[in-house]
Amino acid sequence: MSELLFESPLAGLAGPENLAVSVREIADRGMIDLRGLASDRNFMAAAKEVLGTGLPKAPRSSVSWGDIKVLWLSIDQWLILCPRTKAAGLLAALKAALGGIHALAADVSDMRAIIRVEGEGAREVLMKGTSLDLLSGEYVPGTVRRMRYAEVAAMLHVVEDDVFDIYVFRSYAHYAWEFLVTAARQEAKIRLFGKQAMAG
Amino acid sequence: MSSKSYRLSGGGRLIDRARKFHFSFDGKPMTGFAGDTVASAVLANGQRVFGRSFKYHRPRGVMGLGSEEMNALVGVGDGARHEPNLRATQAELHEGLTAVSQNRWPSLNFDIGSINNKFSRFIPGGFYYKTFMWPQSFWKHVYEPFIRRAAGLGKAPEGRDPDTYESIHVHCDVLVIGAGVAGLAAADAAAASGAKVIIADENKQFGGLADISGGTIEGTAQLAWATAKSQALADAGNVHVLTRTTVVGHWHHNHLMLFERLADHDPALLAAGVPRHRLWKVRAAQVILASGAIERPIAFANNDRPGVMLASAARAMAERYGVAPGGAGIVFTNNDDAYQTALVLKAAGVEVRVVDSRGRPDGVLVAKAREAGIAVDVSSVVSAVNTTMGGLNITGVKVAAYRRGQARVIKETRVACDFVAMSGGWNPALHLWCHNGGKIRFDDALATYRPDRHHDPIQAVGAANGTFDLSGILNESYAAGEIAAKAARPILKAAKLKAPEAVQAHQQPLEALWFAPATGKYNEGNKHFIDYQNDVTAADLELAQREGYESVEHTKRYTTFGMATDQGKTSNLNGLGILSEATGKTIPEIGVTTFRPPYTPFSFGSIAGPLTKQLFLPIRRTPAYQWQVDRRAVFEPVGQWRRAYAYPGAGEDKHAAITREILCVRSKVGLLDASTLGKIEIKGPHAAEFLDRMYTNMFSTLKVGKCRYGLMMNELGFLTDDGVTVRLSEDHFLMHTTSGGADRIAQWLEEWLQTEWTQYKVFVTPVTEQWAQFAIAGPRARDVLRKLEPSFDIAHEALPHMSFAEGKLGPYPVRLFRISFSGELSYEVATPANYGRGLWNEILSAGGEFGIEPYGTEALHVLRAEKGYIVVGDETDGTTTPVDVGLDGLVSKKKADFIGKRSLEQSYLRGPDRKQLVGLLTEDPNEVLPDGAYAVKAVKDKPPMEMIGQVTSSYMSPSLGRSIAMALIQNGRARLGEVLSFPLEGGKVMKAAVTDTVFYDKEGTKLNV
Repeated sequence: MSELLFESPLAGLAGPENLAVSVREIADRGMIDLRGLASDRNFMAAAKEVLGTGLPKAPRSSVSWGDIKVLWLSIDQWLILCPRTKAAGLLAALKAALGGIHALAADVSDMRAIIRVEGEGAREVLMKGTSLDLLSGEYVPGTVRRMRYAEVAAMLHVVEDDVFDIYVFRSYAHYAWEFLVTAARQEAKIRLFGKQAMAG
Repeated sequence: MSSKSYRLSGGGRLIDRARKFHFSFDGKPMTGFAGDTVASAVLANGQRVFGRSFKYHRPRGVMGLGSEEMNALVGVGDGARHEPNLRATQAELHEGLTAVSQNRWPSLNFDIGSINNKFSRFIPGGFYYKTFMWPQSFWKHVYEPFIRRAAGLGKAPEGRDPDTYESIHVHCDVLVIGAGVAGLAAADAAAASGAKVIIADENKQFGGLADISGGTIEGTAQLAWATAKSQALADAGNVHVLTRTTVVGHWHHNHLMLFERLADHDPALLAAGVPRHRLWKVRAAQVILASGAIERPIAFANNDRPGVMLASAARAMAERYGVAPGGAGIVFTNNDDAYQTALVLKAAGVEVRVVDSRGRPDGVLVAKAREAGIAVDVSSVVSAVNTTMGGLNITGVKVAAYRRGQARVIKETRVACDFVAMSGGWNPALHLWCHNGGKIRFDDALATYRPDRHHDPIQAVGAANGTFDLSGILNESYAAGEIAAKAARPILKAAKLKAPEAVQAHQQPLEALWFAPATGKYNEGNKHFIDYQNDVTAADLELAQREGYESVEHTKRYTTFGMATDQGKTSNLNGLGILSEATGKTIPEIGVTTFRPPYTPFSFGSIAGPLTKQLFLPIRRTPAYQWQVDRRAVFEPVGQWRRAYAYPGAGEDKHAAITREILCVRSKVGLLDASTLGKIEIKGPHAAEFLDRMYTNMFSTLKVGKCRYGLMMNELGFLTDDGVTVRLSEDHFLMHTTSGGADRIAQWLEEWLQTEWTQYKVFVTPVTEQWAQFAIAGPRARDVLRKLEPSFDIAHEALPHMSFAEGKLGPYPVRLFRISFSGELSYEVATPANYGRGLWNEILSAGGEFGIEPYGTEALHVLRAEKGYIVVGDETDGTTTPVDVGLDGLVSKKKADFIGKRSLEQSYLRGPDRKQLVGLLTEDPNEVLPDGAYAVKAVKDKPPMEMIGQVTSSYMSPSLGRSIAMALIQNGRARLGEVLSFPLEGGKVMKAAVTDTVFYDKEGTKLNV
């Protein structure tokens, strides 16, 4: 049999020319879905032992440690991000550390597509697809938020001020991509609440 | 028709006489200037008739100044870019624009439909209700086509819309609606406090009526102040200014829609790909309504003739566009404001005379008019308008003495003129206040309604609030802006801006004039129009009253007054005034009708936004989707998934392909993309017990590494899902659901864990999309698998039917399930989704020597039907129990409890007449029963016939060489061997014998090889 063929959800698609922001797929990220009880000290300690950082407890927050990020998904669910090459090892370590503890860790590296939207005006581009108030002070780097994006379920991770990762389920990758590159067209660019030219 | 140019030699603040535009109106070439509207440009070319009215086809011209225009609706643009029903007063002129009049045939000047006008005494209010009621059979073929042809104004565009549209969600502290002096003042105050402000105006320029209202602010002209303030707001970092943007609706919690026209005014922008329209979905903590006021027409005889217009519109035509409303005219008023129109026109060299219904007008503006040498007739009304034949050109008016409340005039004087500028006072534009239930109250001094209470955080200011004096407007607007900012963001420090000083001529009060009488109340041929857009006259409203339409809401529907795109902007109050006089009730006693969104029409394109074509509906793709597209598979929708239905080869139709695919699975081996199946990981010390409760059958006894088919019911005992679950380890399961059930069942499991069985330590994680999953089915399946170099033993003994293995196929990490939905030796192999495409290719190439072919969902369905396997949703309809479909064996008798158990024991689910699943074999093996066909107790000549059941699945079975079907039949299992009748459309009756449901390999030997 030939080599292992890896094909990310949006493989082969390049961002169209003439976009107001950069839009690209992130395919080299590993993801682990972790369920456990935040009230269970053993669980929290075991996770910290393996990840090097405690699991975030504040809603919509995330933490980083080295090349690992942990995103809060709900009161008993986290999404661990790491380089794709490290996911299997990290999962094995987690499972070992969580032996005998009520928890569920699953490799979900292929379950979602990740689209990075980056550049000045990225918030406005995203606001064409979500009713979240991305211009409010709430969306600082590190914020994680599930949202309805266009017509599908999605998750938003504020990486830096003008850098956002949009997570959608893999099967919706093309739809989300298509919507994003439509919203990001240079001709449709809009900046909100800034200095404007006044006609008339 | 006159072709005299009405362009004045001077004036025209908004036009650039150095930039000439060529355009056409009804094919006639015309020229205008940059800054013109279609209305001003066409008028400037001497063309006054813009269209024909809705019901009577009367010629109509420009009446208004902006969005209140109800007559001059034109179609603009060609072909796919044609847009009907645009207000000519808002449509901006550009080079090459084409405009057409509407609702006329064959031409604007000679219109056959205007015969309705001659016969108008036979078309009274409620005509449609009275005439088109019976006989009922006439409705579809006679009345409706007639009404559809006669009604409607513009024509729909032809072809696909070439432009792009979008929407955006924006939150703000304060949304200011309208950028006249009031709106600018409120925005200034709110922005100075640091609040995030959006200020939107439907016009291309801010300032509202500042340019035609006289007076000064801080010692400069109103307009200069407004312009400077607009610029300051545009420069501010916390303000977003929106021109050409109409706030079309207000909903709960201050959710508003704003319709922005980005490119209609400039074809170059459209050509460059700028979105044509953008719909703003704004959530505003506070709203300030500064939508201004709309001038009232006056109801006098033939007040709809081209050349009759609102006084403010006549004034603005001259001031903004340098266009005269005519050569000589009458200003007909009941208030001081319209005297400004007389003064402006007089200064522009147009001859005017004022007719004032009041007895002793003596305000500052009245005096000024007299000083300027303008004749003023007091205690007078215009009692009639005289025109040339067909009503196209005004030749003069009749002026008569009038005392308030007088029902008819006695002596009339003819005055030659060619236009009438009328003003019956001003109505606050309350529409947005009322969209979401704001209360209004009647103000006797203004003779109009003004805002009262509102349950949403919204304030009205300026003319929209019934405040018309400049100082008052500025004071209340600055105060409102500050209040709004503070309420939205209590943390902000109020800027406490002081409202600037303003000076404006004082105006004396108006006297309400709801009806200007003629010599007889309704002289023959004279119509006093109230609602121009819907052709409703004062007589229509009075008639409705006499006919007993006491409620104003009923009158509205019966006469159509205040309806449709106009939403009663100019007609509402005049109509109430007429009803008040007809009934002797006060206007508040009459009541009000409901203003509904949108304020003015907005485009379907903006509503759809980008969600068209490939974005119309999300399409879910499996990892093998692109391969299937390239292979020219035929697809079917399964939820939002697109699944390969069949894979026709070159020159092969899909039926042939399905047959080939089925036979390939039965004789060789086939490959199915089953990635859409729901996959849920379930883990925890109580996982097995939890599954025992969710499924009808037992899972706690399942051994690690083994699979079991499970049935799921809802609390009602009805089947809701099924699938195979594998025990990965003692406390860890992987559940498969139907493709359509993936999300629903995951939520169902969570719901029970979170709300009912909170004591259970169980986690549920949906992993559907982590895995690509393929079925390799057929007698050669194991050969294919072996070729793929499995890292584990796949021998029958090591991996028997309903068992599981985890390892690798060559380099591919896999989970392998030996399960079958075809009755053949079959494996489902799952690999992480990003390896799916690679593994799919490998399976096909490994299977090449064994004759492998991909098969689609239709072959899958036939294969399972041949084996009598049910599909939840085909053999079940939401009222079907496991017992009904013959799966009693899977309903545990040992388990203490599980969902649906109690319901299943109720008498009505155990009764003798339940429909039961059976197989059917048609008498003619080549005939396939239609899906859903009814079995009847006895065939009769025509329905009704007693129905005893229906076909749930029906196919031509290639494996058996005959048709097969399954059906839910009353008492079905007791009818084995019975021949049932299925009457079809057209009188044909098909007959089929009842059998058991397994048609192929009844012993199940092919599974265990």
